[in-house]
Amino acid sequence: MSNLLTERTEPVASAAQRDGLLVRIIRFSGWLSIWLGLFLLGFVVHQLFLTTFLAQQNNTVLQAEAEVYFTQVTVNEVPYAPPGAPELTDPDDVPLPPAVLLVEEPPQPGEAFAIIRIPSLDRLKNGWTVVEGVSRSNLKNGVGHMPSTPLPGQPGNSVMSGHRTTFGAPFHEFDELQPGDIIGDETAIGIHIYEVRETIIVRPTEFWVTGPRDGAWLTLTTCHPKFSARQRLVIFAELVGGPNAAVISG
Amino acid sequence: MIRRMFNALPGPTPVRVVLAVIITVVAFVALMFVYDWMGSNLLDSGGAFS
Repeated sequence: MSNLLTERTEPVASAAQRDGLLVRIIRFSGWLSIWLGLFLLGFVVHQLFLTTFLAQQNNTVLQAEAEVYFTQVTVNEVPYAPPGAPELTDPDDVPLPPAVLLVEEPPQPGEAFAIIRIPSLDRLKNGWTVVEGVSRSNLKNGVGHMPSTPLPGQPGNSVMSGHRTTFGAPFHEFDELQPGDIIGDETAIGIHIYEVRETIIVRPTEFWVTGPRDGAWLTLTTCHPKFSARQRLVIFAELVGGPNAAVISG
Repeated sequence: MIRRMFNALPGPTPVRVVLAVIITVVAFVALMFVYDWMGSNLLDSGGAFS
């Protein structure tokens, strides 16, 4: 009798155990899905809204700081001869007075020193402050200037980087820029006017885009495509107006 | 689940409340770091070449 009972109850018990395990797995999967969903929702809210809100708040403060910086920084006049300028070989030639380039003191890391404006883009037509440096913390303000490159309005290749989708996304609409579009870059010297010449997409390891160039250029870099850091969208713009443009172009 | 986790904390209720607040703050800060890291590495690094 007892053997018969055992034989009958064992399959019932194992079925109940199996059902219990199934219920636990389903319950665990449910909780995991809920927490994962909340985690991802939090990530989206953090990246798209919180970082943008903070960057916009920072930008308002930094814009005021940049305007104070413009009045306080020292601007020097430096003699400048553009590369390739003809040298005087005839002793009878009367030397012309050297052209003078306006040069400002380099800003400190993290300091707001410029305001970039692009009239053809909604996000940048009212200006976005540029800070010195392109570290992760510098770029949390939106736009940073690569310290090893010249300042805007100076000969060479001035490089700036900015976020495309987070931290205010100042460079969000960069794929809409066309050759001929105007970029204004205000510094302590004045407003430097650049004209877009070329837009390219490269890998993040193609450092040549930040290298020196003849003349005066502004290179703007951002992530590409939107919502990915896989590539870089690079805008090359040439100096066409402003306090130093005529001197640099010779 | 949250109630079970709260009940699993040691000590009387006031101590548990303090511990729960500390754990929540630490977890929130850690979560922000994780979000920051994920955002910079997966979504938008800022476009720099450095």
